[in-house]
Amino acid sequence: MTTFILRRVLLFVPTLWAIATLTFFMVRLAPGGPFLAERDIPAAARAQLAHTYGLDQPLTAQYTRFLANAVRLDFGPSYKFPARQVREIIAEAFPVSLELGVWALLLALLVGVPIGVIAAVRQNTAADTAAMGLALAGVSIPNYVLGPTLVLGLSLSLFLFPPALWQGPESRVLPVLTLATTYVAYIARLTRAGMLEVLRQDFVRTARAKGLAERAVVMKHALKLGVLPVVSYLGPASAGVIMGSLVVEKIFAVPGLGRHLVNAAFNRDYTLVTGIVLFYAGFLMTFNLLVDIAYTRLDPRIELS
Amino acid sequence: MMPVRAWARAALLAAVALGAGCRNTGPAAAPPAAHTAALERRYFGDSSPPSDNTFRFNNGAEPEIYDPGLAVGQPDGRVCRIMFEGLTVPDPVTLAPLPGQAERWESTPDGLTYTFHLRRGLAWTDGAPVTAGDFAWSWLRVLRPATAARYASMLYPIANAEAYNNGTLADSTQVGIRAPDDSTLVVRLSHPTPYFVFMTEFYTYLPVPRRVIERYGSQWTRPGNIVSNGPFSLVEWRQADHFTFVKSRTYWDAANVRLDKVIAYSVEDLNTSVNLYKAGAIHWTTSGYVPSQFIPYLMQFEDFQHGRYHGVYFYSVNVTRKPLDNPWVRRALNYAIDRDAIANDLLKRTRDPWGNMTPIPYAGYEHPPGLTYDPVRARECLARAGFPDGRGFPKVAILFNTSEDHRRLAEAIQAMWKQVLHIDVELSNQEWGSYLEATTTLHYDIARRSWIGDYLDPTTFLGLGVSNDGNNRTGWSNPRYDALLHAAAAEPDPVKRMRTLRDAEALLLDEGPFIPVYHYTINDLVKPYVRGIQPTALDTHDLKFVWIDHGFRRNAPAVATAGNQGQ
Repeated sequence: MTTFILRRVLLFVPTLWAIATLTFFMVRLAPGGPFLAERDIPAAARAQLAHTYGLDQPLTAQYTRFLANAVRLDFGPSYKFPARQVREIIAEAFPVSLELGVWALLLALLVGVPIGVIAAVRQNTAADTAAMGLALAGVSIPNYVLGPTLVLGLSLSLFLFPPALWQGPESRVLPVLTLATTYVAYIARLTRAGMLEVLRQDFVRTARAKGLAERAVVMKHALKLGVLPVVSYLGPASAGVIMGSLVVEKIFAVPGLGRHLVNAAFNRDYTLVTGIVLFYAGFLMTFNLLVDIAYTRLDPRIELS
Repeated sequence: MMPVRAWARAALLAAVALGAGCRNTGPAAAPPAAHTAALERRYFGDSSPPSDNTFRFNNGAEPEIYDPGLAVGQPDGRVCRIMFEGLTVPDPVTLAPLPGQAERWESTPDGLTYTFHLRRGLAWTDGAPVTAGDFAWSWLRVLRPATAARYASMLYPIANAEAYNNGTLADSTQVGIRAPDDSTLVVRLSHPTPYFVFMTEFYTYLPVPRRVIERYGSQWTRPGNIVSNGPFSLVEWRQADHFTFVKSRTYWDAANVRLDKVIAYSVEDLNTSVNLYKAGAIHWTTSGYVPSQFIPYLMQFEDFQHGRYHGVYFYSVNVTRKPLDNPWVRRALNYAIDRDAIANDLLKRTRDPWGNMTPIPYAGYEHPPGLTYDPVRARECLARAGFPDGRGFPKVAILFNTSEDHRRLAEAIQAMWKQVLHIDVELSNQEWGSYLEATTTLHYDIARRSWIGDYLDPTTFLGLGVSNDGNNRTGWSNPRYDALLHAAAAEPDPVKRMRTLRDAEALLLDEGPFIPVYHYTINDLVKPYVRGIQPTALDTHDLKFVWIDHGFRRNAPAVATAGNQGQ
């Protein structure tokens, strides 16, 4: 187990290096540049800015300097927000995305898993149809439709929650609901599929034959294996949801990381794009590793070596 | 002295002309039968004043940098103006310069030297005095090449400023800025600039605290470090979220500042901005932060403001490419655009049709006749260019940055050119960075562009046509045009100057490197209990003059009673 983890962590290094290199060159290949604007910047100022950011040096020199600094997690100042370090922007925006994401995931699990279990246990009944119908709706309605609809209904008509801005606990409700819905639906469907598979297996039949109550069979024995598809889905899903959702952050004016990444790409903010991409990559790999470890806990048949 | 006063008076007249068509504020203008329920229908969303004295508004996109000398753009400039005050401040309606840190000023008859006299007892928020030397240092800082200030050209009317800024002059003492004593600032200009006093309102001209900048470097604008001289001081900043300002105790006119606190949110999404306004979470959307498709609906509400904006939407023609190098082709394209149809049918009167490059009335300036829709003449021009009935006209493309609004307009113009000139044009959209690259390097045929003027003078637009100007981006170069602008710059007589500029604009319109389509408008929502925010031509507002009328709801029925008694 320890060697497995060690080996995986060592693999992070070449992967991150490859991602860093690709991002570094790709963002520079995009047409335009960080100092191109609708209103012309005087040539002298542009030269001075290029010098400040080392863009007047050969690309290889820029690349080596970038790698050397990246190892120390120093990506330099943002081009678009020159008074701020990339590191600082991530440190400020990430906790917001993290909070939003964690609440949304928790809600998705708390609602999605029970719905999936009920649908599986009552397969082909009205409850199953209703649950899966809801799930289908949840997957199908995009965030940019659901978000404004919730605002219109719960905020601008019923005055229950603020329509946007990240201040106070009540401001969390609408963005969390919007973000969670897609995941609720997806998790419900995964749970149902997983449970149906497990409920047909021999050990479940054995448990039932021993005369265990159905409740115990489902909750104690079947559920543990039935949620495995959900667990493997949780790895990339958590990384995605925690890194921030552009749409939800825009609709609810949430100061998270998702908006920064997209804007940085449009602005050709070289340092900010590279910094966030690398942060995201590291996060995704860590989560996938955690999922693999969780697998061994849930399914005794799996061994990591 | 004379030119300054004449200019200010004329600016006032112009602004009054502009103000026609904006809303009435205040209960005094309310119809006598107003009561609470009707109040709700007259205003968009919640109209009850907040219990505190905090003004909340949406400042729009997150400012890139709010160091006044380095700032570029409306949201950045607005944050700077809340904290800092220049020599002059804009009148809330006319934008004419009012005394700010300077209590008076005078100029020599040749219009080349301006002397500003600072008030006594001015202080920074840390208690240190604000001196004329602070202004001199701040302006030279903007011009110093190492500062790389993107808006340094705003200071170019000052003698030797341009040479010092682009590095051809190393000696800063030769720049025309001098502070003979702590309360006198003497500015020598390179050419007569009738709007120079007005320019001192602009954020690039704001004073910055030398000691703080030398101590903290680029981090000096952080809350905790920052020291300012304006009506409010910064206490909190959360990127992409909000700025919080509180009333400054050291500001010279603090007794007349009526807000205790200002919160400027950075909400990019237009729908979100309007939702927050409707719910009463913000009191002002600022112009541009209302979705364009909502405007026709919002026009019925009294808290919606609509006015002229100092900006123009135009098509830029790359004259280095065939057949667009032929002025007759450009004239044909020009005359074939039905601007009224675009404004009425496509834009639903949210923008006004405009066939000139300079979008608003200026003091003493008579616009040359604008371009009009004339299909017959358009076809004649095209035939004269060698393409009778559009035969043999090569394929050209209209480039725009990705946006539904730009696409719809491009489609309308594509259809007009097809219908009138029988020529086919393609549409091509690119995301912002690629679009900027294509327009600056002349890799396009015809491109959608826009320009917002910085000061109330035609030159802020006419400068685009000067040969090799960084904002020209058409390849168009005309020695006669350059000579006209040059002559206007050297002209001490304001009347002759404006006449020369008019000739220049006429030439520019006739030659057609730019095809104006409409002029921009101010469209914002302001709560009826907020006083002191009117649409202004430059969309600038000094929050010093803004206050919250807490008696707003109570006043409304009182007016009704008075009206009934009168009957």
